Amino acid sequence: MNSRAAPTPVSRRWAATGAAWGLALPAVVWLLAFAVAPIGFMVAMSFWKSTIFGTRPGFIFDNYGRIFANPLYLQQLLNTLRIAVLTTIISLIVSYPVALALSQLKGRKKAVLVLLLFLPFWTSYVVRTFVWLPILGRNGAINQALLAAGLIDQPLDILLYNEGSVLLGLVYVYTLFMTLPIYVALEKLDPALLEAARDLGARPLQIFARVILPLSLPGVISGSLMVFLLAVGAYVTPQLLGGPSGVMFGNIIAGQFLSNNNWAFGSALAVALIVVVFAVLAVSSRFVRLQQVFVGGRS
Amino acid sequence: MTVLAAPAPRVRTWPGSRVNGWTLALGIYLIVFYAVLYGPLLMVVLLSFNDSEVTGFPLIGFTTKWYALVLSRPDLLAALGNSFAVGIVAASVATMLALLLSMAFRRVFSGQQIILGLVLLPIVLPGILGGIVLLIFFGYLGIRPGLYSTVLVAHVNWVLPFAFLTLYPRLRGFDKALEEAAMDLGARRHQVLRLVVLPIIRPAVIATFLFSFSLSFDEFIRTVFVTGFDRTVPVVFWGAIVDRLAPELPAMAVIIIAVSTVGSLCGFAISARARNRSH
Repeated sequence: MNSRAAPTPVSRRWAATGAAWGLALPAVVWLLAFAVAPIGFMVAMSFWKSTIFGTRPGFIFDNYGRIFANPLYLQQLLNTLRIAVLTTIISLIVSYPVALALSQLKGRKKAVLVLLLFLPFWTSYVVRTFVWLPILGRNGAINQALLAAGLIDQPLDILLYNEGSVLLGLVYVYTLFMTLPIYVALEKLDPALLEAARDLGARPLQIFARVILPLSLPGVISGSLMVFLLAVGAYVTPQLLGGPSGVMFGNIIAGQFLSNNNWAFGSALAVALIVVVFAVLAVSSRFVRLQQVFVGGRS
Repeated sequence: MTVLAAPAPRVRTWPGSRVNGWTLALGIYLIVFYAVLYGPLLMVVLLSFNDSEVTGFPLIGFTTKWYALVLSRPDLLAALGNSFAVGIVAASVATMLALLLSMAFRRVFSGQQIILGLVLLPIVLPGILGGIVLLIFFGYLGIRPGLYSTVLVAHVNWVLPFAFLTLYPRLRGFDKALEEAAMDLGARRHQVLRLVVLPIIRPAVIATFLFSFSLSFDEFIRTVFVTGFDRTVPVVFWGAIVDRLAPELPAMAVIIIAVSTVGSLCGFAISARARNRSH
């Protein structure tokens, strides 16, 4: 990084490293104390024992045993993974054309539309999830419109409180995290490449499949990873829009802490979710530089 | 952006003039997408003025009573105060930590990757676990839930990575030659910092603060696990949804949307101005 030609002596490099660590120290200490330590504590607690008298330290594997003994938990975990994957795929299908269209625009129109894309995502996802209740509910826009049109006699109940409404909510709330990295990747695309492909006689679909899509793949992977991570830990959306068939793993974990008071078992379930998240990150890191996912797309 | 904004020669839009149908289809799709994105939000604005005891349709008449009701509920006013207060403190702490961290990251140093992983941890960790780990951690440390203890920690944890990701690219793009010039002209380190570096990065810092505030103001899932009696706006809003679909919910939603939109729009404006100036 140092532009000077003379090699920096080792001692000066150490001094620079020391200075950098000094600047980073407050954040590092904060995160060690309030992020790493609490996570470590929860991992430890997953080996403790919860009784009606409280959660006591120990080193037992009962909590994990219980996860594997009852097929319900693994089923729920798999179901949650399925919902997260579906959310990711739907978001990709919804977002890709948006990113493509935005990257084709120019000037003021483009700036305004990109800003409008961002804006709703700075509003609480609790609010953005809530807005679907007066649309899909019994008194909601869709039911009341259908009733007024005389197409139905009774409000439909199938619009809400099922897996479909959870998927809708999740895609609505998280789709920006897909659109943005794809848009950034498409923006970097050199128009000369498209022109070259066209001059060589490629058809529009061929240009898309052979040039545009492969070059936007890093954005697709980044976006997919972000949406998957957000969806797999969802709590608010399934709680508000999901019925019995829309329950996700986050709701089951929360239940252990909010109603069952089984903190040790809840911790074990939470560790299971963390293992899944880190496994996905580890697999993804073979295809993208994770650093790029979070830092790269925002320059 | 620079590539496509480049002037002559005028590049034909993909996929070529022969099939403008594709461009047209994309344009129509874009309109539909924005309609679906904004439709529900605009509908909530509409419903917030609906003179009906149920949250929903049909529209009966125009009223502003729900806003009057919301703004006269003491728990909500207290929550607004709490959210503003903890938002300002959390955004200040996160921006300060992120600023120091970004300055450290301007040069490559050993251990950088580890620190980066550490900073990204709160983003990678599912939000619900971000709340639960603090619930049990503070619970066993005997720290009572409170606005400036547990809630503040939860908010700074959440906001810090985003503050860093907003601020770091700005500091990385900062021209080191300016600093070196100041040094060569005899300025001391603290003078360089105060007279050269800070004035240039100030807009980016303010923008980061506003984005951080907006994120903190909207935070729910971590807060709900560590909140004490001093509840924040999203927590009160959540309570109102879960208890019963109260008719004043749309008005509450509109107020929340307004606060976070104004906060982030200011952030956008300031960071856009900063970007223009630095180019």
